[in-house]
Amino acid sequence: MTDFDFNVIWSSLPFLWQGLQLSLLLTFLSIIGGIVLGTLLALARLSGIAPLAIVAATYVNLIRSVPLILVIFWFYFLVPLALGRPIGGFYSALIAFVLFEAAYYSEIMRAGIQSVKRGQVHAGQSTGLSYWQIQRYVVLPQAFRNMVPILVTQGIILFQDTSLVFVVSLRDFMTASSIVARTEGRLVEMYLFAALVYFAICFSGSMLVRSLKSRMAT
Amino acid sequence: MNYNWNWGVLFEEQYLNWLISGFGWTISVALSAWCIAIVIGSLVGVGKTVPNKVIRGICATYVEIFRNVPLLVQMFIWYFAVPEMLPEDWGRWMKRDLPNPEFVTAVVALGLYTASRIAEQVRAGIETVPPGLSAAATAHGLSTAQTYRYVLLPISFRIIVPPLTSEFLTVFKNSSLALTIGLLELTAQSQQIAEYTFQGFEAFTAATVIYVCIALVATILMQVLEKYTRIPGYVGKEA
Amino acid sequence: MIDIENISKWYGDFQVLTDCTTQVAKGEVVVVCGPSGSGKSTLIKCVNGLEPVQQGRISVDGDDVTAKGANLTALRSRIGMVFQHFELYPHMSVLENLCLAQEKVLKRPRAEAVTRAEKLLDRVGMADHAAKFPSQLSGGQQQRIAIARSLAMDPIAMLFDEPTSALDPEMIKEVLDVMVELAQEGMTMMVVTHEMGFARKVADRVIFMDNGAIVEDRQTAAFFDNPESERAQDFLSKILDH
Repeated sequence: MTDFDFNVIWSSLPFLWQGLQLSLLLTFLSIIGGIVLGTLLALARLSGIAPLAIVAATYVNLIRSVPLILVIFWFYFLVPLALGRPIGGFYSALIAFVLFEAAYYSEIMRAGIQSVKRGQVHAGQSTGLSYWQIQRYVVLPQAFRNMVPILVTQGIILFQDTSLVFVVSLRDFMTASSIVARTEGRLVEMYLFAALVYFAICFSGSMLVRSLKSRMAT
Repeated sequence: MNYNWNWGVLFEEQYLNWLISGFGWTISVALSAWCIAIVIGSLVGVGKTVPNKVIRGICATYVEIFRNVPLLVQMFIWYFAVPEMLPEDWGRWMKRDLPNPEFVTAVVALGLYTASRIAEQVRAGIETVPPGLSAAATAHGLSTAQTYRYVLLPISFRIIVPPLTSEFLTVFKNSSLALTIGLLELTAQSQQIAEYTFQGFEAFTAATVIYVCIALVATILMQVLEKYTRIPGYVGKEA
Repeated sequence: MIDIENISKWYGDFQVLTDCTTQVAKGEVVVVCGPSGSGKSTLIKCVNGLEPVQQGRISVDGDDVTAKGANLTALRSRIGMVFQHFELYPHMSVLENLCLAQEKVLKRPRAEAVTRAEKLLDRVGMADHAAKFPSQLSGGQQQRIAIARSLAMDPIAMLFDEPTSALDPEMIKEVLDVMVELAQEGMTMMVVTHEMGFARKVADRVIFMDNGAIVEDRQTAAFFDNPESERAQDFLSKILDH
């Protein structure tokens, strides 16, 4: 059993912090993009317009059956090809995450929209609100509210998922930890430290979910 | 978009073999991990509901740890860190003599991770059984173990079949993380073909189609299972 | 004002409305009653197009509700509707509940919408509760606010779908009082209700429905004093006995 060397963590903190910032930024932007696109997909599926619903459902089911790593590979390959020039790893990763997570968020939002009672839609209709106004002011705010705990839970999963940009060497927290681990030859300390940091963030997140749930239950 | 299509590349013997071998590893990792996950997940899930506080605490800790650390980090810890942390003899054995170390590590890491998710489903399943039933079982003179064996588990396992379907699909998708420790499963093979041939489109499409087929088959299997285990008149699919 | 001509409606194979015809004149108050499942709620929901009909024609103030491509949103904004379960928006304050459609549909400036809302809240006796959320109020209070919300749109007619049947008995009166006052002011009203006291007091006509069909459609006094059909007699004896 090797001796632990915690100095290696201490001295590489600035480098790791940069990585963590990238992880958090990627998480934040992907959550926003994923929820927006996911909500649109959910609305499309519930729109009652058959072609729109079928396209959205196919997209969601397709994305949900493939691994995220494969999706990341896809977009690292596709995005530069489609744009005719490279746009940098971060944006390729961001596009992959938004498109991937949107499929999961759309299932959450679909459940959320369906949890709003039909009477609420009738009430909106009876005062002459249009379809979009009803969605915008009546249905979606309530759907979001009902789904907040699950949306946050999905956010925690997304944060964990961002570690997978390791496969394309984008310098997030995981990749940064791994670089230090290899160059310093301190695999045990660095990977345990990485686990600890992820745990602290995700566990706080699940505590938040728990308190949100109990507050909503009352 | 400038791209030279060549679907034929997928049927060249070398690359076809890569895909088949990748498919084989994906299936082996996923199914082996699933077996570990079901056993440990059930035990831990039950453990979270028993009256004994110590057992409950241990099981809750297990779930929190394995659920709140990314699978990739867990995979690296099992592969790189654990051999260093064990007594020297064991560590050396793991590094040198363990057959197929990438496969074994991937199965263990994925199995234990998935177990934490299954444990939550099992716990939730047990908690949805009306408390009156276990009270009735106790009143009949059944012991705690018997109550679980004959009343709680048979009901709750049927309840959790639908949510388990999605976990079952997830285990196949998550098996792709084995590529990070060098196991050439399906995703890795498609990436490798893309690099060798520059036919990324064809290679990734092949992998995507295979994953979709796996998902379809897995869904059908679970639906059959659900049909055979459903209790007539009891909580339906929607509940 | 409201013209219902020979409408029929099916849910799949099941016929919920059979050839219903009636009119509501301007300023008239019509009560629709009948056993549960008789189609009375469905009928009233057809009037503002919340439920589509497969046959027949409904027009409100000369505009065809049932025509293909009818501008339902414009039409609905002129007909108020009050629901059994109030359907206040739970995520908005009372004031916002009253202002939303005023601002988004009628395009009233904020200040005007607020003034109008406050005036109506005062009228239904809820002026002190403008800042509260629906879940902080009793059912009777919520229903009075729902009525105010409809009135804020300056409707030419009001539809009530069992407005008191989800209320505790002690709250029914406060809601009925508001409705009586409205009726006496000359509002055109179509009310689905079991409150026969209310019907006797303010209704000009009573429509009795059973099995999706209009069985009786008569002046209030005539309906109560000598109902023609056996089913209406039966219904009245059951509902008036207690």
